Amino acid sequence: MVNVFAVPVFFIVFRESLETAIIAAILLSFLKKTFDTPESDRAAYVRLRRHVWLGLIVGFICVLAIGGGMIGAFYRLGVDAWAKSENLWEGIFCLIASVIITVMGAAILRVSKLQKKWQEKITKALQAPRKETTVGQKLEKYALFILPFITILREGLEAVIFVGGVGLSFPASSFPIPVITGILAGLVIGFIMYKGGNMFHLQIFLIISTCFLYLVAAGLFSRGVWTLEMYEYGKLVGGDVAETGSGPGSYDIRQSVWHVNCCSPGYNGGGGWGIFNALFGWQNSATYGSVISYNVYWIVVIAYFLFMYFREQKEFSASAQSDSDLEADNGKGVVGAGKNAVAVDEKSA
Amino acid sequence: MKSFVAASLLSLLPSVFSKTVTYDFNVTYTTANPDGQFERRVIGINGKWPIPTIEIEKGDRLVVNLVNGLPDVETSLHWHGLFQNGTNAMDGPGKVTQCALAPGQKMTYNFTINQPGTYWYHSHIKGQYPDGIRAPLIVRDPKGPYAKKYDEEVVISLSDWYHDENPPLLAKFLSVGNPTGAEPVPNSALMNETQGMPFHVKPGRTYMVRLVNMAAFAAQYFWIEGHTMRIIEVDGEYTEEAEAEMIYLTAAQRLSFLLTTKNETTKNYAIVGSMDEDLFDQIPDGLNSNVTGHLIYSAARPLPEPAFVDAFEPFDDFTLVPFDGEDLWEEPTYTFALEVMMDNLGDGANYAFFNGITYVPPKVPTLYTALNAGNLSLTPEIYGRDTNPIVFKHHDVVELIINNNDPGKHPFHLHGHTFQLAYRSDVDAGFFNASDESIEFAKKPMRRDTVLVNPGGNVVLRFRADNPGVWLFHCHIEWHIESGLIATFIEAPDVLQKTQTIPEDHLAICKAQNLPVVGNAAANAEDYLDLTGQNLSPAPLPAGFTARGIVALVFSVIAAFIGIAVITLYGSQELKQKKA
Repeated sequence: MVNVFAVPVFFIVFRESLETAIIAAILLSFLKKTFDTPESDRAAYVRLRRHVWLGLIVGFICVLAIGGGMIGAFYRLGVDAWAKSENLWEGIFCLIASVIITVMGAAILRVSKLQKKWQEKITKALQAPRKETTVGQKLEKYALFILPFITILREGLEAVIFVGGVGLSFPASSFPIPVITGILAGLVIGFIMYKGGNMFHLQIFLIISTCFLYLVAAGLFSRGVWTLEMYEYGKLVGGDVAETGSGPGSYDIRQSVWHVNCCSPGYNGGGGWGIFNALFGWQNSATYGSVISYNVYWIVVIAYFLFMYFREQKEFSASAQSDSDLEADNGKGVVGAGKNAVAVDEKSA
Repeated sequence: MKSFVAASLLSLLPSVFSKTVTYDFNVTYTTANPDGQFERRVIGINGKWPIPTIEIEKGDRLVVNLVNGLPDVETSLHWHGLFQNGTNAMDGPGKVTQCALAPGQKMTYNFTINQPGTYWYHSHIKGQYPDGIRAPLIVRDPKGPYAKKYDEEVVISLSDWYHDENPPLLAKFLSVGNPTGAEPVPNSALMNETQGMPFHVKPGRTYMVRLVNMAAFAAQYFWIEGHTMRIIEVDGEYTEEAEAEMIYLTAAQRLSFLLTTKNETTKNYAIVGSMDEDLFDQIPDGLNSNVTGHLIYSAARPLPEPAFVDAFEPFDDFTLVPFDGEDLWEEPTYTFALEVMMDNLGDGANYAFFNGITYVPPKVPTLYTALNAGNLSLTPEIYGRDTNPIVFKHHDVVELIINNNDPGKHPFHLHGHTFQLAYRSDVDAGFFNASDESIEFAKKPMRRDTVLVNPGGNVVLRFRADNPGVWLFHCHIEWHIESGLIATFIEAPDVLQKTQTIPEDHLAICKAQNLPVVGNAAANAEDYLDLTGQNLSPAPLPAGFTARGIVALVFSVIAAFIGIAVITLYGSQELKQKKA
């Protein structure tokens, strides 16, 4: 199954297409709210909606074209230059993938924040003061085409680069299915948000998928360290270590924490143990490095999320406080809200 | 009265005519470049390498005054194939029949040789002889059955050659970095410790060629283009004449053949030795496994390059018949099997095992334990768990079955005896099955002291325990000696105690190094059954999940669960905020 479904690829594509879907949803609902009213211009609404869709579709096609070329180039390079020290590169890419997932994973849990961020940006863009130049007018005329086009291009190429970086440690056959399912999952969630579906269920779904995301990232981190150790061992042994199967000699006894002569995720395709490895970083032969790195990873993640949790709780209670204080002290509330808005802008920039 | 005098005179005759041959050997380093590719340090004798071939006549006494002139390592000499009946202490392996000589120490080997044939001598300290301390030992037999059939005797040694010295090769071989136990592959093959060996012959003569394989590792195919060889001896045992086009000689095997030269001198012929590449895990780029010499009829004629051969089809030594026509020794009184396998131990290195035991030398030479243990000498345990001790009673007819549970060829050698090769299976025949009626033992089996066992196959050997002493049985691939493919046979130690003693200069070697000379394998002279402190092999690999592994796994799982809980906590904050 690992040969046809690269889990990190799925999550990366899912994350990027979710962001794109959110932007599209915001734009579409903005148009609906603004122009789809009895008194507004029905024809303009249809035209602008077409712009949004056109931007998305053209952008998507561009992403496919550019991304396809990039992935192809990645692979050609990868096969030639990295085949010799496969373990070295696999280890490095596992670590990179783990860091990417870790950094962008938290945002999924804050999908409403993401939504808010884009809402503000788009509103700002659309409500920007009119420039009385032809170029400006033209640009503005097509703003609803350009914005989704740029968005999908940016998110898409980001996904391609991430997937390309992560994916070199996976066979090419493991790409199509996670890419397609990742896009579909992103679209479905974007659609639910657009329809104003049950945000409570959505949040639960996002929590579960984020938990999986971090399990995968922890496994990748541990696997990265493990693979780098195997690279060193392979240099010492001077042969293909994987060839020796899962028995004695397939691992460095000096580093071994546990070793079972079965259940190898790497040997003969790995079978079920390969899935276990992809999801949770299972190794039949654990080393000090792989066990310690796995635990350290979780300690860092736990510390980070606890920090975020308490900080947001503080902010939340502060803003709740300022809301209630609004009547008493108007100026303070405004300043607080302004700060928040600035912070969001900085992040998105 | 007259007849009595005549009889006693007759009995004196051999000692009157036999002589004593004395060698003074100072083992020293020197340098050599036998394959013309690489000059390296070698172990020589008296500053020279190759070391001298010992030539002696049947019945002579050989005295070797040995000095270890090496500044940094031990040494000892073993006389490969000589029975040492009555002189077990002269056999030579360190920690078995003597203490090894530390740098600067001396001792004397002194024994009578009553076996004619082709032998060799070499260091029997771990991994030393491939560094050069190896040479043929020829016991001539002017009254032998074939003495009248040849005009001249010639010795040709075959060997393999490494550009690296053995100690670093050994350290690498037996380490965590070599988990598959891949043996170092030689850099060259040699003939008489050189390449391009000339063998000048006269037309129309018959030569007795004594072939000795002194390799550390490689067996060799051997043939002489345009000539047929008539085998007459293997490992010191005369055989009935047998014609062969190609011979296969494992490390440590010897073979003599008659070679009758052509009548014309119009052409010279290539003599080819070719290392058996099946033994090598991988063939390094540029390895030339062949060594060529020349049968030179006329020095004026060109020396031909050897022709390609389509396939190696060597003579099967199993088909040889001993010259004395001795029948298979029936009804063994002691039958046992040794299973050969390779496995990794807890230090990550790959070891070789007989019946699950990899050899570790005892603290006291096994012979000394046997001589000092009194009635307990018949109890195998006192010789130590990892010396793999097997005790025979005097005059046992021993049947030894070797089941090779390893995909490699192994040449097994027994000290102090030749054995009958009753049966040898094909490759991958599995374990010997005594109830298989299709198996037929040889009626008049060939006898030798080193036998090839096929990969995954088995052999049945028989010999008589008529030589009280301590005798090693081991694979003669030097790498496998290092990785422990050795068993110790203790033969009639009760008789040994009554008939043999250790020379004082042997004991002095140990004492000067503060090594114990009495006691069991653990050097316990008080209680021979208490083996506390004996030398043992590294512990086996830990099996699966040990306490350490379980703790690590549990901690990892807990860390993951706490992580998920914290992520959920953070994620559900949004839910609360929404509600709020």
